[in-house]
Amino acid sequence: MSSVKLKAVVVDDEPLARQIVQEYLGRHQDIEVVAECANGFEVVKAVTELEPDMLFLDIQMPKLNGFEVLELIDRDVAVVFTTAHDEFAVKAFEVHAIDYLLKPFSQERFDEAVERARRTRPSARRKSLDELANDVRRSALPLDRVLIRDGAKVHIIPAATIDYIEAQDDYVSIKAEGRTYLKQATLSSLENQLDASKFIRIHRSYILNIERLAKIEAYAKDSRVVILKDGTRLRVSRAGYRKLIAFL
Amino acid sequence: MHPIFTKRERFLLYITAWLMIAGLLCVLFAAMSALTWTEAVALLFPMSLVYALMSLAALYVCRAFPLQHTLLYKLVPSLMLAAVLTSSLWAVMGKAIAVVLTRALDFVELDQRYDGAVPLLLAVGTLLFLLSIVVHYLLMTFDAARAAERRALELQVLARDAELKALRSQIQPHFLFNSLNSISALTATDPAGARAMTVRLAEFLRTTLTVGQQQLIPLKEEFRLAEFYLSIEQVRFASRLSFSAALEKECENVLVPSLLLQPIVENAVNHGIAYLVGGGTIRLEARRNGHAVVIQVSNPCDSDRPRSTSTGVGLANVRNRLERLYGNDARMVVENRAKDFSIALTVPMQIGS
Repeated sequence: MSSVKLKAVVVDDEPLARQIVQEYLGRHQDIEVVAECANGFEVVKAVTELEPDMLFLDIQMPKLNGFEVLELIDRDVAVVFTTAHDEFAVKAFEVHAIDYLLKPFSQERFDEAVERARRTRPSARRKSLDELANDVRRSALPLDRVLIRDGAKVHIIPAATIDYIEAQDDYVSIKAEGRTYLKQATLSSLENQLDASKFIRIHRSYILNIERLAKIEAYAKDSRVVILKDGTRLRVSRAGYRKLIAFL
Repeated sequence: MHPIFTKRERFLLYITAWLMIAGLLCVLFAAMSALTWTEAVALLFPMSLVYALMSLAALYVCRAFPLQHTLLYKLVPSLMLAAVLTSSLWAVMGKAIAVVLTRALDFVELDQRYDGAVPLLLAVGTLLFLLSIVVHYLLMTFDAARAAERRALELQVLARDAELKALRSQIQPHFLFNSLNSISALTATDPAGARAMTVRLAEFLRTTLTVGQQQLIPLKEEFRLAEFYLSIEQVRFASRLSFSAALEKECENVLVPSLLLQPIVENAVNHGIAYLVGGGTIRLEARRNGHAVVIQVSNPCDSDRPRSTSTGVGLANVRNRLERLYGNDARMVVENRAKDFSIALTVPMQIGS
């Protein structure tokens, strides 16, 4: 046995629910609680800064729910979900063989979950959590808000406030309300997730919020630009132009 | 088709009754007219069968003049006229039968002596038709009462069903499991608190079950129940949840549908306070507005809250109930702003005893 303790973060917006996890962890001398979090923002911050080995994660929380947290953190951490009653979540966990605790739970059941979390290889763990996050995201489409992690900080950008999105190497840059946010994602994945009746891929490098469109101008032979309400000019590909025309 | 033909027993009973009537008529005519016994039997049995069919027409007379909607001075002459006409027709048909009997069989001058019996026939025919009308009226009333009874029963079953469904949707499993989890946590650190919570939860459930059987309850009861619920949720959310209740004195005894506020208050907790890092205050208010009471529940909410979360079912139930109970006399207005949410119900000012 190594003398280095495992670091755990306990997440629940209810103090009593955190207290019970703390109490049950009392039996596990090799696990140390390094943080308690009451909302999604705190979890992202704690995981980024404290790099815990284990996460006891509630699903319904202010700001970000448990699944959204999963999407934003580097997921090389053992996650044990806790929930009171959520048929949807339970189904998702079972599909991906991820352990979860239904409140209220017993010490024995808790111990079992901890042991399982300890035993699972990080690579297997990471794979199933990734798949879980993808599944849940797909079920919640179209996306009504985009989440962006900026170090330990999280921005929530309501889809309706986005002007346009531009591809930049491995990132996309999202323009919303005069600001630019960078998110590690591909333009295609965002195109698939956003509401197709509001966001149109007008170019290999651009997705446009159709409500920001002011006019379309010819730019050169066979080439066009759109001009947004704030004056921004974006190039339009031929395929993009066809989509725009079909839409308008 | 006449309902007498829809049931075998009814039809047999009817025919039996008419055979008896035919027998009586034979006795009557043998005694009171110039007809002999044999003649009376030969003539009156076929005539009775014919009249048995003709009397069924009373149904259409009864339908044309429903008892509840026809004035007496119109009803009596109409029925008399129908009876006299039918019996006259019958007398004419009787004459035809008498003529046939005279020609085909060896009855001597039956057709002529028949004419002497016509006044009596008309009187008897009129009476019999009136009797048929009375029987038809009775049967119609009886059938209507039975149908009404069945409808009432069906309605009752439906109402009970809706009540149960409402109850099930009004108490969310979430609430129960979370409360049990709080109790589980308290048992280790605060046994007295755990016990207090258990008692509160039990009382809330008990009151909900009792109140759920009543259709309408005083508004102050409804408020008390909502406050009960909120005080239980307060244990879970600790300092994040607070609430206030302001009920105008004159609205206290106004009758409202039981558990009407429950889905609204639940919504305020689960979709309002639960998404706020710092929590907030849920406000319950009720005030008189002319002949109506306005009940308002408002709560702060997070502008970042996910829009997709379903608040639909519970609130749709509230709207349906109001509509079913009050029609256009009740209103539900939902205000969904970025940072606050409120629901105002307007119901008629109906005071309980």
